[in-house]
Amino acid sequence: MLSSLPEAIGILLSLEGLLVLVLGTVLGIVLGAMPGIGSTVAVAIVLPFTLTMSQAPAIILLLAVYAGSVYGGSIAAILINTPGTPQSAATCLDGYPMAQRGEAGLALGWATVASVVGGLVSAVVLIFAAPQLAAVALEFGPIETFALILLGMTCIVSVSTGSVVKGLTAGMIGIFLSTVGGDPILGEMRFTFGNWQLFAGFNLLAVVIGVFALSEVFMRASVKVSTVSELVAFNGIVLPSWQMWKGRLRNLGKSVAIGNVIGVLPGTGAATAAFISYAEGRRSSPNREGFGKGEPDGIVSSEAANNAVTGGALVPTMALGIPGDAITAVMLATLTLHGITPGPKLVEDNPTLIATIFAGFFVINLLLLPLGMLLSRVAAPILRVREAFMMTAIVILCAVGIYFVRGNPFDLLVMGGAGVVGFLLRRQGVPMAPLVIGMVLGPTLELTLRQGLILKDGNFLAFFSGHPIALVLALAAIGALSLPLIRAMRKGSAA
Amino acid sequence: MKLGYLTSAALAVVITAGSAAAQDFPQRPINLIAPFNAGGGTDLLLRGLAPHFAEAIGGDAFVSNMAGGSGTVAASALQGQRPDGYQMAYMSVTVSTIQPQIKNVPYGLDSWTPICSIAASPTMLFVSADSPYQSMEDVVAAVKADPGKLVYGSSGPGAITHLTMVSAFAGLGIIDDMKHLPFQGSGPAIKELTAGNIQFFGDTELLMKRGDFRPLMVFNNARLENFPDVPTATEVGIEAPLNELYLWGGLFAPAGLEPEVTATLESACETAVASDGFQEFAANSGTIINYRGAEEFDAFYRAQYEANAGLIEAAGL
Repeated sequence: MLSSLPEAIGILLSLEGLLVLVLGTVLGIVLGAMPGIGSTVAVAIVLPFTLTMSQAPAIILLLAVYAGSVYGGSIAAILINTPGTPQSAATCLDGYPMAQRGEAGLALGWATVASVVGGLVSAVVLIFAAPQLAAVALEFGPIETFALILLGMTCIVSVSTGSVVKGLTAGMIGIFLSTVGGDPILGEMRFTFGNWQLFAGFNLLAVVIGVFALSEVFMRASVKVSTVSELVAFNGIVLPSWQMWKGRLRNLGKSVAIGNVIGVLPGTGAATAAFISYAEGRRSSPNREGFGKGEPDGIVSSEAANNAVTGGALVPTMALGIPGDAITAVMLATLTLHGITPGPKLVEDNPTLIATIFAGFFVINLLLLPLGMLLSRVAAPILRVREAFMMTAIVILCAVGIYFVRGNPFDLLVMGGAGVVGFLLRRQGVPMAPLVIGMVLGPTLELTLRQGLILKDGNFLAFFSGHPIALVLALAAIGALSLPLIRAMRKGSAA
Repeated sequence: MKLGYLTSAALAVVITAGSAAAQDFPQRPINLIAPFNAGGGTDLLLRGLAPHFAEAIGGDAFVSNMAGGSGTVAASALQGQRPDGYQMAYMSVTVSTIQPQIKNVPYGLDSWTPICSIAASPTMLFVSADSPYQSMEDVVAAVKADPGKLVYGSSGPGAITHLTMVSAFAGLGIIDDMKHLPFQGSGPAIKELTAGNIQFFGDTELLMKRGDFRPLMVFNNARLENFPDVPTATEVGIEAPLNELYLWGGLFAPAGLEPEVTATLESACETAVASDGFQEFAANSGTIINYRGAEEFDAFYRAQYEANAGLIEAAGL
């Protein structure tokens, strides 16, 4: 495949190649930044255009929109506390407090550099280690995935600002919401009360937008009297200087690694990676005390991980023909349409195409930096409008975005309901991030737990004998939960 | 006499008005609904068809997506719409004949005006290339030797992949000695087949070719051209109605469509399916075209609805 690289670069440097790279990335960033339009929808919007394109540019366009939208999600998360995509929900936790302090440009700078590094490293890993990593994906059966998600659930504790009990309550609400709809094993309907609109369960994006964005609008409406103030001071991205990275590189490296590995595992995804990485950052970063109050390490943890997922998700897609997430599934379908059968022989049979895709993916991640800076300059004046206008615009954007996805008015009701419930809960000091974690991780936790129980004839303890990976992950989960307790006890005995 | 004359005159007016409306059809763009997410097989098929359909009907047609509930959300929404011919959904065997019999959805056998069937592919049962099983006899022997050990996968409860497995193992009388592991979609199931956590899976030929897999039988009325050595389910000893299983799909409008409108849509569908552009698309995407006109499709759909009731019973859904 590497020998086809010169030819691949030729394709990328052609007019069509360059156009697709730049336009796709710009479109991805813009769509990702719009609340309500997640990466899946962004990719779906450009899908019809790819039908008339040739193979390589078609896939490059989808990849550019994919990577761009994952990065773009961080812009809205930081500037208006509205995660454009669920995978940016963790970015809000520190990005928005930083923006409120007047450091919006710098917060976006951290997010941009972290995203670019995460994406670039995942591209290099994809190019050189895809077959080896794909083997790792095969080691992760239902039981291993269950243990990983269990570890991920422990982040509920680390993102619970204020009271842990309230955080756990929010997490349980999230898990409960995720059980509405079809039972994944038996197909029975749960908690739908005979209403077919609920057969598909609650729309994740609608709930995320409701509890983060709408509840924020309600909060502001309920406390602020002033209508003239600006939302956040923002004049474009400010890149963090080299000195500022001192003591933060380890956290960056760790986040990239977490994103890469989780991306490779089918059935997990960018939101899972961002939260697990955030929790790990909060556990091990030297700056952990500041997490949740506007700590750059928090932004880096989330953004480096979610962009590293993009390359990771391509590993099983390209090496095994198994999509890593909904977006790579769209890419495989596009390949099929162009007469290419995805599968284990994909790389062998189409070396030039794959080399073009991989090299293109690398270039896309390089483009995120200049294009992100350019777009943020364009966006800056928009943010200078009065808060009241901005809040109205956010509500409209959210509604349009959510309605656009399925054309289903019911999703708007879900969004509005989530906004009201989120507002009431937040006023009681209940954090919203755990609710989103519960909703994102809940379905996989339930599915893999029940799959494991089927495989082990109902014996839960058998999960951990003969499954060393699952055992290690489960022990890590127990460790993560007991670490604060041990620390507190040590402090107690020292005093 | 006078009254009779008036009535028939009024009737004539109504009829001509009706057919005039049908002649003017379509005046607005036609919405082709994919009950699944953009990028899936159904969505791509509709997007491949839409331009040729629009050309054939002399108007506009666009594809919209309304995913959720294994396709039942879109079907439930469409069922309540006015039958004016401007909204149609591409529904598969599962959305139209299986889901309404296992879920409490607001639609059923008589909710639709079938317009045309477009595609149908038989399903196959397959194992990983390094599997010890070379034939279905091997499988039956292995299950009887060690009951309760072997696992078959599916892309979800009630999906065509699940029914393929049920047809195979219930047809051979060994289903009670096997375990069912449902996944969310065929992708994860194929991964576990490669990894060895499940031993059997069933889907169309297109999906089978995604990995290093070996087909053991096909649910078709004859052996497949590409796999002359793979026996049909009937040859293996599976009896009707479990011996043939097709992933078919076609366009459905809400019940009560005017016959003229149905005829216009049907002929546009026929022209579109036969067009060079769509034929080329089908060849590229591995779609097996199976066109049926409105009347024939209606009879086929009703027969399938009845036949699948037996399958659902066997699956215990």
